[in-house]
Amino acid sequence: MLFLIAKNDWRNIRADRTLWAIALLLTTTILYGVHNGASWVDFQKRTIQGALADEAERHAAIKQGIEDANAGRTSPPSWKDPRSPYAVGYRLGSRFATMPPAPLAALAVGQSDLLPYYFRVTVNSRDTMLGNDELENPVHLLSGRFDLAFVIIYLFPLVILAVSYNLISGDKEDGTLALTLSTPVSLPSLAMGKIAFRAAFVLTLGAVLSVAGALLSGIDLSAPGAAPRLLLWMGAVAAYSIFWFGLAVLINAMGRNSATNALALSGLWLVFVLLIPSLLNVGIKTAHPVPSRVEMIQAMRHASDAVTAERSRLMAEFLEDHPELAPAASADTNAQFAVRSVAMTEELERRIQPVLDEFDKRISRQQQLADQYRFLSPAILTQAALYDLAGTGVHRYKHFLNLAANYHQQWQAHIQPKMMQTVKLSTASIDELPRWHWQEEDTADVLGRAGTHTAALALTAAFVIAIGVLALRRFPVVG
Amino acid sequence: MIRTVARKEMLEIIRDGRFRWSAAITLLLLCGALAMGWQHYRDVASQHEAARRDTRQQWLKQGEKNPHSAAHYGVYAFKPRMPLSLVDPGVDPYVGVAAWLEAHKQNEFKFKPAQDATALQRLGELTGATVLQLLLPLVIILLTFSAFASERELGTLRQLMSLGVSRSDLAWGKALGISGALAMLLLPATVIGVAGLALTAENGALAGSTPRLLLLFAGYLAYFAVFLGISLAVSAKASSARVALITLLGFWIFNGLLAPKAVTDLARSIHPTPSTLQFARDIEHDIENGMDGHNPADSRAEALKQELLRKYNVDSVNKLPIDFNGVRMQAGEEYGNQVFDRHYGALWATYDRQRRIHDLASILAPSLAIRSLSMGLAGTDFPQHAHFSQAAEQYRRLINREMNMDLAHHAKGKPVYMAKESLWQKIPDFHYEAPGLGWVVRNHTLSLVLLTVWCLAAALAASWMSRRMEVI
Repeated sequence: MLFLIAKNDWRNIRADRTLWAIALLLTTTILYGVHNGASWVDFQKRTIQGALADEAERHAAIKQGIEDANAGRTSPPSWKDPRSPYAVGYRLGSRFATMPPAPLAALAVGQSDLLPYYFRVTVNSRDTMLGNDELENPVHLLSGRFDLAFVIIYLFPLVILAVSYNLISGDKEDGTLALTLSTPVSLPSLAMGKIAFRAAFVLTLGAVLSVAGALLSGIDLSAPGAAPRLLLWMGAVAAYSIFWFGLAVLINAMGRNSATNALALSGLWLVFVLLIPSLLNVGIKTAHPVPSRVEMIQAMRHASDAVTAERSRLMAEFLEDHPELAPAASADTNAQFAVRSVAMTEELERRIQPVLDEFDKRISRQQQLADQYRFLSPAILTQAALYDLAGTGVHRYKHFLNLAANYHQQWQAHIQPKMMQTVKLSTASIDELPRWHWQEEDTADVLGRAGTHTAALALTAAFVIAIGVLALRRFPVVG
Repeated sequence: MIRTVARKEMLEIIRDGRFRWSAAITLLLLCGALAMGWQHYRDVASQHEAARRDTRQQWLKQGEKNPHSAAHYGVYAFKPRMPLSLVDPGVDPYVGVAAWLEAHKQNEFKFKPAQDATALQRLGELTGATVLQLLLPLVIILLTFSAFASERELGTLRQLMSLGVSRSDLAWGKALGISGALAMLLLPATVIGVAGLALTAENGALAGSTPRLLLLFAGYLAYFAVFLGISLAVSAKASSARVALITLLGFWIFNGLLAPKAVTDLARSIHPTPSTLQFARDIEHDIENGMDGHNPADSRAEALKQELLRKYNVDSVNKLPIDFNGVRMQAGEEYGNQVFDRHYGALWATYDRQRRIHDLASILAPSLAIRSLSMGLAGTDFPQHAHFSQAAEQYRRLINREMNMDLAHHAKGKPVYMAKESLWQKIPDFHYEAPGLGWVVRNHTLSLVLLTVWCLAAALAASWMSRRMEVI
C-alpha cells in the first residue's frame, strides 16, 4: 500500500517543476559546499607541508652552520650561533606542532577557520604559543564558510519543508483527500507513504551527492576511522531530516490550509535553526562570562615584570634546587645568562598558569552548559555531531592543544639543561631534538560523542513523528 | 485616497494576531540585543581604558634600563570600542583585542573573542545588526506577501478597482500602511538604542556619533524599503498568496543566509589569503636577504658603516662621535618598516579586494550592501581595524626611533648605558583618533550606491507590477 501511495505521489510530483528545481538547488549547493571544504583542507595540508619544509630547511642550515663554524670558516655571534642550544632552542631549530585535517574534514569547515592548526614550539614560556592564529579576513570568519555542514543544517530542512508543507493540506484543498480516503487506506498510512517517498528522494539525493562529492574531492575512505565516521555522518543527517519531515506531518495534522502551514513551518525553522542557538549563545555568555583577554594580558605582564624584578633572588633559589646546574665560578656569562633565563621562564610559567587555568575553566563551563542545552534544538545537535565527525570541532582542537603542550614541555626539558651547561651542539645533536608526533583522537571517543548526539536526534525525530501520527487521527478530512 | 487605503491596511495589520506576535518577538529580540550590546560595550570600553592607562604606567615606571631593552619591553595597544558597536559589533569578535608593540616586529592583534566562545557563536549571534538585517525583513515579508495576492483571491481587488481606485494609489496606500505598522515596531527600538548611546555618552559619544547614527538609520530604512518594494511587487505578480510567500521566503534565505557564505568562499578562491606561516617567512626572508634578494642585512650594515665613516671622515667605528649600534639598529628598524609596509600592505590589499567582491555581490543580495555599510558606520569593519593597527604601528615606530636615537647620542663610550624615566616621558601617550564619517563613506561608496539602486529598483518594480497586475 505504502508503495502504491509513494508511486502515485511520484507521478504527481514529477509533473510539478518544484521537484526539479529542488534537485538542482541541492546538487549545486552540495557540490559547491564539498568543493569549498576540500579546497580548505588542501590549503591546510599545503601549509603543514610548508611548515615541515621550512623546518627541514632550517635544520639543514643549522647543520651546515655547525660544520662551517667548527671548521673556522665562520664565526657567528652567540645569538645566532647554530652550536648554541640557546639560539637553536629559541629560534633557529624550533619545530612545528601540527594538526593534520581529519579524514572527513572536507565535509565541515567548522571551527577550523578560527582555531589554529599549527604552533611553532620554542623554549619560550607556554603562553607565547597562544594567539598565533592563521591569517584570515575577519569578515570571512563572521560569515562562516559555505560547506556541506551548512547545507545540511540550514538548507536541508528548508528543502524538506518545501516538499512537504502541503503534504495533506494540498490534497485537501484539491479535493482529492476525501476521495483517496474513501478507498481502504487510513490517513496515517497515506501520510507515511507520502513522507516515505519524499524522504527517500531527498535523502538519497543528499547521500549520493555528498559521497560522490567527497570522493571526487579526494576523501580517502580507507583512512583509519573514515568509513565508520562517514556512516555515522549519514545517520545524523538522516535523523535530522526525519525530524523535519515529522514536523511537517505534525503541522499538517493540525488541519490548517497550506499557506498557514508554510508560515508555521518557516517560523519553526527560524526558531530551531536561528533563534534557539543565538539565544542559547547569549544565555551561556551571560551565565559564565569569560574574563577579558585584555585583563589576562595585563596580568601576564605584571607577572613578567615581577619575575624580571626578582631575577637575582629567583636564580639563587633555582640553584639551591638544582645545584648540579650551577655554572662554575669561572664559567662564561652565557651560562649565567642561560640559568637565569630558564629560572625566569619556569617562574613565569608558574605564575601565569592560574590565569590561563581560569580561562580554561570558564570556557569549559560554557562548553558544559552548551552540551547540556543542545537538546533544545536539533540544529545544535546536528552541528555538534557533524563538526565532531569531521574533526573540526572543539574536541579535536583541545586534544591538539594537550599534545602541543606536552611537546613543548618535552622540548624545554631537552634543551634547557644543554643551555645551562652551555653544551656546544653537534650535527648529531640536531637530529636528537625531540620530534613532533601527531596522534589522532581515539575513533571510539569520536563515535561515542557523535553517536550520542545522533541517538538524541533520532529520539526527537521519532517523538515528533509519533505525535504527528497521533494527531492525524483527529484530522478533519472534510470541512 | 491613499490615506484611506493606508489606514485600512494598517488597522488590518495591527488587528492581525500574527503581526502582534511577530512584532512583539522581534521588538523583544531587538531590545534585548541592544541592551546586551550596550552592556558589552560598556564593560569592554572600561576594561580597555583601564588597560591603556596601566600599560602607560608600566612604560613610565619600568625603571632604569638600556633604551633598547625598553624598546623590547614595549607597550600594548588595546583596540578601542566604538560606541555604535552596540548596534553592530561587526568583525570585532573576529579580530584580536591587543597587539604588542615591541622592537623589530610588527605584531598581529591577538586573542579573538570568538575563540573563547562555543561553536554556537557560528550558528548565529544575537546582535542589533542581525535582528535588523535578518529578522525585520522577514516581518516585512509576513506583513506584505498577501497585500495584493489575498485581495485577489478574496475577490475584493475587483471590487476596489470597480470603485475607480487607481492602482498606484492602492500600491502607495498599502506601502504606507505597512510602513506605519513597521514604525510602531521600530520607534521604540530606536528610542531605546539612542537612550543607550546617550547613557554611554560620558565623553560626548552621542554627539560624536550622531552623523554616523543618522546615516545608519537612513541605510536601514532604505534596506527595509527594498524588502517592502520587492514584497509588494511579488504580491502583485504572484498567482496566489502561497506562491508569493514561498517566492519571498526563498529570496529572504538567499539574501540573508546563502549569499554571505557563498561570497566568502568565492572571494577566498579569487583572492587567496596567505597562511600565517608563509606571511611570516616572507617577511623574515626580506629582512634577512633584502627585498630585492641581493641586499642582505650584513652588507646593509657594512654599507651604513662605510657611509658614516666617510661622513665623519674617520677610519674606525670607535672614532665616530655617535654610538654606531644605535644608528645601526635604527637603520634596521627602518628597513624592517619598509618590509612590513610592503607585506601588510599586500595583505590588506587582498582583504580589500575580497571586500570589493562582497560589495559587488550585493547586486544580487542587498543584505551584503547593508552589512558592509552598517559595520562601516558602526566603526567595526575591517578598514577601521586596519586604520587602528596602522596608528598603533606608527606609535611603535616612534618608540623605536626615540630609543635608538637616544642610544646613538648618549651611549657612546659607555660600557653600560642606562636611561631613566625622563626618556620614557619623552614618548607621548598613545592617543587614537578614529577616522571621520567622510573616510568611512568613501570606503563604502559602492555599497551605498548599490543599496540606493536596490531601493529605486524595488520601488519601480512595485509600481510597475501593481500597475500591470491581474485583478482576477
